[in-house]
Amino acid sequence: ENISDFSLNITDCTQVVVPEEVFFTVAAAGILENLLILIAVVRNKNLHLPMYFFICSLAISDMLGSLYKTLENIFIILCKMGYLTRHGDFEKKLDDAMDSMFILSLLGSIFSLLTIAADRYITIFYALRYHNIMTLRRALVILAIIWTFCAGSSIAIALFSYEAATVIPFTILFPLMMFFILCLYVHMFLLARSHARKIASLPTSTVHHRTNMKGAITLTIFLGVFLCCWAPFVLHILLARFCPHNPYCACYMSIFHVNGTLIMCNAIINPMIFAFRSPELRSTFKKMFYCSR
Amino acid sequence: MSALRLISNRTSQQALSNSDYTWDYEYYEYGPVSFEGLKAHKYSIVIGFWVGLAVFVIFMFFVLTLLTKTGAPHQDNAEPSEKRFRMNSFVADFGRPLESERDFSHQMAEESQSLFHFCINEVDHMNKAKDSQKGPNLESNTQYQEVPGSSGMFEEDLHCLTKFNIPNFVNTEQNSSLGEEDLLISEPPIILESKLVKQSSHRILD
Repeated sequence: ENISDFSLNITDCTQVVVPEEVFFTVAAAGILENLLILIAVVRNKNLHLPMYFFICSLAISDMLGSLYKTLENIFIILCKMGYLTRHGDFEKKLDDAMDSMFILSLLGSIFSLLTIAADRYITIFYALRYHNIMTLRRALVILAIIWTFCAGSSIAIALFSYEAATVIPFTILFPLMMFFILCLYVHMFLLARSHARKIASLPTSTVHHRTNMKGAITLTIFLGVFLCCWAPFVLHILLARFCPHNPYCACYMSIFHVNGTLIMCNAIINPMIFAFRSPELRSTFKKMFYCSR
Repeated sequence: MSALRLISNRTSQQALSNSDYTWDYEYYEYGPVSFEGLKAHKYSIVIGFWVGLAVFVIFMFFVLTLLTKTGAPHQDNAEPSEKRFRMNSFVADFGRPLESERDFSHQMAEESQSLFHFCINEVDHMNKAKDSQKGPNLESNTQYQEVPGSSGMFEEDLHCLTKFNIPNFVNTEQNSSLGEEDLLISEPPIILESKLVKQSSHRILD
């Protein structure tokens, strides 16, 4: 192994290493939390609603991301212990499969966030017809289409990851989706604001004037968390494709493991800001835990 | 991902001192990277990226705060009905198409009257269509009993609407602190609105 060659030239920006225990803890926490949500939604019949199915879809994609990291670490440990060869065909296929799982997780997260935003949008703007527009069957069909598309793209991206043609669409998709989700939520905000104004100008009303900070905070948290957790990795892919020899780029790429940990943190934070906000889901959890005592 | 493989390669070689993760069939030949003659700090991309991201998020927050600022200041009497009310009045607007926002300049009293009538008509119409449907939502019934509160009807509606899971900036939880949000409407419209809300939410939840 050309250890010496590498180390001579890259000592200036050494890899920032995250301890494996941290990886495992964060990944395990993410998997457990999202699994709990899935179990809660499956067990409680009242949660068989389109909005909860979309939240489940988000939970599944978060679980896949954490699962990927866990499996990767397990394979590294198995390699260290000598159970797996390092050059085999099987390992190569395994590595490809794991890479596609990771990309599937990213695409699944983006599309799940999009469907959650669209669902809320329909709830607000077409509320009286919501039940007819968003039936359970339609929600399941939408999810099936999305996951099929994500699976196909992830396999394609993993197989052709060297081409610029895959890297560029991948990195463009990310900000485009974020922007679209932002537009949906901003439109909802605008309606809330105009509504507030209408209420304020009713002659018989007394309006409590206050800036609706909570809404702005909520939305900033939604999008800010997603951006902060995934954008570093997307930038890494861009830099790895286009400027791998540049020392600045190389220094950025040395914090790759920190970026990976951030993605797993996203899996832990997402349930808190989406699923646990629902009182119904929280009461289901309480029942699950108190009943099991 | 070649990037992943190569970085894992490097990590394993440097930090773990055993070449465990060398899937060495194909990866980018990054080759030696020289660190001489750097004009800026070597982590400048890292720092620049995170600072840029933080600035963007804060900027987005301020833009959203500005967007959600309500209009002129008014008196307020903080009451429990305020919060629920916001939700109820929000629901009242559902039946209207989006173009209703243009009607801003009209007499608000008349408009709200027509709004209520419109909503009542629509909801009644839908209730007639829905009359055959059975299946009481047991959960909401139990929640009706669970819910404390001076005026039970409002709390019920509120709980029904929490099932909507409308985005949380329209906060419908009655246990969250008062005075946090705005909007209050006086008594008579409340009774009307809560009826609409109950009916529409029943329909939606079934």
